[in-house]
Amino acid sequence: MTELAQAVVNGLQMGFLYALVAVGLAIIWGLMEMINFAHGEFLMLGMFGAWWLSAGFGIDPLLGIVPIAVAMYGFGVLVYRHLMRRVQGGDPFTQIFATIGLLFLLQNAVVAGFTSDYRFVNEGILASLSRTRLDVLGLTFGVPLLAAAGLALVLFLALYLLIERTEFGLALQATSEDRDAARLVGIRPQRMFAVAWGLGAALVAIAGAILVNFFAVYPQVGLQFTVLAYAIVALGGFGSILGTLLAALLVGVIQSVTVVYLSPAFKDAFVFASYLLIGLFRPQGLFGRF
Amino acid sequence: MARARISGAARLALVVGALAAIVYPIPLQLQGQTYYQTVGFLVLVNAMLGVGWNVIGGWTGQFDFGPQVFFAVGAYTAALLYAKLGVIAWVGLLAGVAVAIVLCAVLTYPLTRLRGHYFAIATVAIWMIAQPIGASWEFIGAAQGLFLPVQTHDSVVGAALSLQFSGPTKALGYYYSALLLFAVTLALMALVERSKLGYYFRAIRDDQEAAEGIGIDSRRYKVIARSITAAVFAAAGALYAFWALSVFPEQVLELHWSTLPIMATVVGGIGRLWGPVLGAVILIPISQVMSTTLGTGPLAGRGIDLIVYGLIIIVIAAFRPTGLLSLPWGRWFGRRRPAPA
Repeated sequence: MTELAQAVVNGLQMGFLYALVAVGLAIIWGLMEMINFAHGEFLMLGMFGAWWLSAGFGIDPLLGIVPIAVAMYGFGVLVYRHLMRRVQGGDPFTQIFATIGLLFLLQNAVVAGFTSDYRFVNEGILASLSRTRLDVLGLTFGVPLLAAAGLALVLFLALYLLIERTEFGLALQATSEDRDAARLVGIRPQRMFAVAWGLGAALVAIAGAILVNFFAVYPQVGLQFTVLAYAIVALGGFGSILGTLLAALLVGVIQSVTVVYLSPAFKDAFVFASYLLIGLFRPQGLFGRF
Repeated sequence: MARARISGAARLALVVGALAAIVYPIPLQLQGQTYYQTVGFLVLVNAMLGVGWNVIGGWTGQFDFGPQVFFAVGAYTAALLYAKLGVIAWVGLLAGVAVAIVLCAVLTYPLTRLRGHYFAIATVAIWMIAQPIGASWEFIGAAQGLFLPVQTHDSVVGAALSLQFSGPTKALGYYYSALLLFAVTLALMALVERSKLGYYFRAIRDDQEAAEGIGIDSRRYKVIARSITAAVFAAAGALYAFWALSVFPEQVLELHWSTLPIMATVVGGIGRLWGPVLGAVILIPISQVMSTTLGTGPLAGRGIDLIVYGLIIIVIAAFRPTGLLSLPWGRWFGRRRPAPA
């Protein structure tokens, strides 16, 4: 029983980090209905940025979040303005191809610059706490992961409030519902899309700067998180920010329970099997509105 | 009827292309160069995969990210039959195709409830589930995979029947085996394209509701389309297994078995029979030529070829998403209007 409870706790902590990885995608893909297969590469850039600031300048990855988020916001806007706007109106396939091209370009530009070696962040607040554990009710919490999960939760709630409770968030939602109607009431859709891409890129880069404390950085690191993020957004339901969070927690728990009771090799397989099973009975996702 | 639409220039290009493909390895073989024959082999394999992917992706309009599963099914089936029972390669290849079709139909039918993005993710999901199965199933060699024992054949016929080429003619033998499979695939897909089946596929792509309105069972034809794609991937996988002399999960379930053919299809022209062929001829040699020109220099192994792929695909997506074949070649080089897609 304790074993199961511990597995669930571990899964929930990872789930918050997955939620942060997925929420950028939930905005770009789930809310604005644009495909981004380079999402994992944005994450990788965030991780590399944090590693570079840490190894080169001794800046803690947690402090690095600020410049990385700003830089990636700008990058996301640029990607939208110069590439995605061009392919937005056409066949949805074209968006897939454009972002697959971006995936190859970004991933291998980093290979060209930094090689495919694995890199680790050894110095940092979270890394220095790595031995610290907290025991509550017979369950063990790793302090760094707990802190990261807490940070992820705070960011997530801030985003939720931004999108669901502010005028800007309403404008974003209005654009995704009906672009022409939004234009009639004075919203500039192009600008909304650019902001959505900026936000999505910044959020996933922040996730990268947090993940870098726990995972090795290498140019191909993105794919494993991208496939999970896609499953999470689809599982949560398009357009539902809260659904994304709950789906991410579910995915974290499925993974950690699989690791304990079955085999670590099958942890992603069980996530995707659950996706298929749920998808067949509820194609719009758990909390999807459409 | 379809023949009448092909312009004279296109027919000339076809004859020249076919002759070039047949003659290509001969001067290389006379000089004892095998490297560029292997490049040719990889072009043909990827062109064949692209032609296969076009059926589900280009004609039926369903984005399939997981056909590499059936590449692996073909490779494993042929390799198992050969290594454990001594079944001859071409029979193993056909068996692999049959297994892939059945497996694909069973797996894909429930998926056809899902549309658009959800379908695409579901195909990824099956690939994600297949990977640990391949890596842990003892019967198929788990993570170590299977090795195919080498048999030497004195006669060309014996080597060709068992797909076991070795020595100085190894690259030549596999080149022509790939050319044969590619030509058969292309001919069959040309038939499918002009058949009722091909029109059903495109009807589903263009407007699923309207297609259902005129009595096309969209789920059934999506399953058929994906099974055709799976069959092509399985055949290529079986050939690849004998070429590589081994099958292991990381190699045959590698993502590039779908991304390279998909990119080739997009660059050449999605939904056009010859699109993937043109795309593969352009894209695949880039990688091979780069690895020789960069040699062991500072930029070797730094993914420069993939940067070029990324740029090509971005430019195509941004400026000509219908691919190179859709450019007005007829107006530039011929008098007649080019055949519509």
